[in-house]
Amino acid sequence: MRTKRLLLTMFVSLLLFPSLLFSAGTKEPTHITTGDEIIELSVYHFLDQTDKTTAPNFAFLVEEFEKKNPNIKLKFEYGYGESFHDKLQTLAVSGQLPDIVLLYPGKRTSQVTDAGLVQDLRPWIKGHEKEFADMAMQGQGENGEIWELPEDISITAIMYTNNRLLKELGLTLPKTLDELLAQGPVIRENGLIPISMANKDAWPMQSCLAGVLVERTGGMEWFDKAIAGNGAGFDDPEFVAAMEIIKQLSDKHMFSPGTNQLAYGQGLDDFVNERAVYLIDGGWTVNNMIGELTDEQKTYMSLESFPDVPNQKGKSLSTSATAGQGFGMNAKLNKAQSEAAWKWIWFYSGPEGSAIRQKFGRLPAYNLAEPADADPMIKKLIAYAAKVPMGYVLDSVLGAEPIGAFNINLQRLMFGTMTPKQVAEDLEMMVDKIDRGNR
Amino acid sequence: MTFKQQKMASYWLLIAPGLILFAAVIVFPVFYSFSLSFTKWSGYGKSLFVGLENYRNIFSDPVFLHGLRNNMLIVAISVFGQIPLGFLLAYMLHRKMVRGGEFYQTMIFLPITISPVVVALLWNQIFSSSGIVTALIRNFSGNSQYVMKIFEDKSQAIIPILFVLLWMHTGTYMIIYLANLQKINPSVLEAAQIDGATEGQMFFRIILPSMVGTITTTAIFAIAGSLKAFDLIYAMTGGGPAHFTEVIAIYMYTNTFKYYKYGFGSAVSIIIVLLSVGLILILQSASKKIEKKYE
Repeated sequence: MRTKRLLLTMFVSLLLFPSLLFSAGTKEPTHITTGDEIIELSVYHFLDQTDKTTAPNFAFLVEEFEKKNPNIKLKFEYGYGESFHDKLQTLAVSGQLPDIVLLYPGKRTSQVTDAGLVQDLRPWIKGHEKEFADMAMQGQGENGEIWELPEDISITAIMYTNNRLLKELGLTLPKTLDELLAQGPVIRENGLIPISMANKDAWPMQSCLAGVLVERTGGMEWFDKAIAGNGAGFDDPEFVAAMEIIKQLSDKHMFSPGTNQLAYGQGLDDFVNERAVYLIDGGWTVNNMIGELTDEQKTYMSLESFPDVPNQKGKSLSTSATAGQGFGMNAKLNKAQSEAAWKWIWFYSGPEGSAIRQKFGRLPAYNLAEPADADPMIKKLIAYAAKVPMGYVLDSVLGAEPIGAFNINLQRLMFGTMTPKQVAEDLEMMVDKIDRGNR
Repeated sequence: MTFKQQKMASYWLLIAPGLILFAAVIVFPVFYSFSLSFTKWSGYGKSLFVGLENYRNIFSDPVFLHGLRNNMLIVAISVFGQIPLGFLLAYMLHRKMVRGGEFYQTMIFLPITISPVVVALLWNQIFSSSGIVTALIRNFSGNSQYVMKIFEDKSQAIIPILFVLLWMHTGTYMIIYLANLQKINPSVLEAAQIDGATEGQMFFRIILPSMVGTITTTAIFAIAGSLKAFDLIYAMTGGGPAHFTEVIAIYMYTNTFKYYKYGFGSAVSIIIVLLSVGLILILQSASKKIEKKYE
C-alpha cells in the first residue's frame, strides 16, 4: 500500500513537473501601486535597435520621460519588421498583450484592435483634438474609435530630386509624365538612374507610388467609392490607368535597374551617392537623409511631387499619406495603470515627444511651429507637407491579404507576366471577397 | 503488488517524464494542427469548420504549386547533389587522393558553421543588382543598366539558391560519410588490395555496401530538411520576386502570420508532414531493396 502511494505521489509529481517548467516562464505580474510608489508598465514597441538614427532618438525620448515621471517605470520589449507583427499576434492570442503597445491606424494591427483588446483613447484625447492634424484624428475603429494616438503624419510618396544633377544634365523638373519619360534616355546615357526605387520587398511600389497614381487617375471621390465598393471598383478604367503608368515607367527603364531585386535602403543609397536623379520614397526617409547627406547636398536636394499624368482627375502635386502608428493601451488596465499609460502616450505623441521627434527629422501629427534650428531637410519636409494635397496609401485602407497579393502583382506587372487590367481585376476580386466580404 | 506489476509500474514511471514532454510538444501540436486544418480561424473567436476547403484552395493555388515545384528541386539537389558530392569528397579525403586533406575538410565544412542569415547576406552581396558580380559586369561591359536576369525568370530564379544550398550543406554530409568511412576496418581493404582488387571493385564491393545505412539516414535528413527549407531562402529572397523563389514553408508562414489564416496555414503544415513522410517511406523501401541486394 505504501509502495503504491509512493509511486502515485511520484507519478503525479512528474506529471506536474513539465507544467511547472512552463509556468516558470510566464510574464511577471505588473507592479501595481499607487501614491508615491512605482507603477511598472510593459511596453511593446516597433524599433530597429541597430538603426543608428531612430534607436538613440527613442532612447533619448524614454530618458526624458523617465526624468519627468520617476514613479512610472516602463519595461520595453522591441520587435522589428514582420517579427514585430508575429510576436504581437502571439502575445495577443495568448492573452499576454503588454500594457502599452504600438499599433497602426489602418488594417495592419486590426487583428488586435478589432478583438477589443485595447482601449478607445477618445475619452483621454477629449479637448485636445484640434491640436493634431485632421488626418490623425480620423476614426480608426468601426464606430470611430481611436485605438492609438498617431505619432506622425506619414507621407508615403515624395519625389526627392537632385537639382544639381538635373542642372548638369540640362534638364528641369518635369511637370508632366511625358516630360519625365523623355528625361529617361538622357539620364541613362550619363550612366545615372532616372528614378531610384528598391522594390525587392514588394511594398515600396505600392506604398510610395501606386497610391498617388490612383489618386491622380481617379480622384478622391472615385477612390472613396472604390474602397467602399459603392458605385466604383478597383477594376475600373481609372485604376487600370494607374497600373499602366507603372508598367510604362518600368518598360521605359525609368526605375533602378533590377528594382525588384534591390533591398529597401539601396534606393536611398543610390540617391545620396548621387547615382540617381530622383528617389521616390516616403517622408520617413528624411530621418536618414539628415545624417547621410552633406550640408552642401542638402542645399540642392528638394522634395517634389510626381508630375501630372494624362487625363488626370485628381489634384496636381498630390501625394499619398496616412496617420502614422502610435501607442495604444491594454483594455485590461485598471484606473491607475491607465493613467500612467496615458502619461507615456501623451508624452510620446503630444507636444513634448513630438518636439523631440521633429528635431530628429519626423513630421509629427501634433501641430507644432517650425523650429528655427531644424535641419534644412526637416524644414523642406514641413514646407512640402503644408503645400500638397493628400490622398490615400493603399495599404492603410485595404486589408493585409489583398495588399500582399497586390504588391506581388505589381512585380509581375513589371516582369510582364500580368497586364495592368489583370492586376486591377485581381485586386478588385480580393477586396470584394476579403475586405467587403461579398463573395 | 506482484513483482510483475511493480516492474510495469517502474517502467511507466521511468518513461513518464519523456512521454509527457513528447506528448506536450510533439503529439498535441500535430493533432491540434491537423484539427485546425479543417477550419477557418484568424486567431480570435470561434473557428469555423470548413471541411476540405483549405486543402482544395491550397492545391488550386498556383503560388503553392510553384512553391512545391521549388521544394522538389531542393529535394533533388539535396539527394542527388549534396549526398553524392559529399560522399565523393569524403571518399577522396579518406583514400588520401588529394594532398592537404585536412585543409579541404575544414574549408568544405566551414559553410555549415555560418548562420544561414549570414550566408544569405553574403551571397546577396555577390549576386544582387547592387552586388559585386553585377558591378564588375557593369564596369567591364560599360552597360550601367546591366541586371542578372536569372533572378527575374520564374523558372530559373531558384537556381542560385540551389547552388548556395549545395555549397552550404555538402560539408555536413561529407563529415558524416568521412566518420563512417573511418569505421570500415582498414585490414579488409588491405586484404582486398593484396588480392588484387581495383579501386572501383573496392568501392562497389566493400565501401558502398557498408555505407548503405548511412546513405539512407542522410537521405532522410536531406528530404526532411528540404521540405521545411525556410531560413536561408527567406533571408535571401523572401520567396520573391513575385513568388519565383517561394517554397511551401514560406507560403505557410505568409498565410499564417501575415494574413492570420491559421486554419489554412495548418493545412499547409500537414501537407509538408505528409509529403515528408511519403518521400521517406519511398526512400526506406528503396534502401531495403538495396540492402537485400548486398546481403
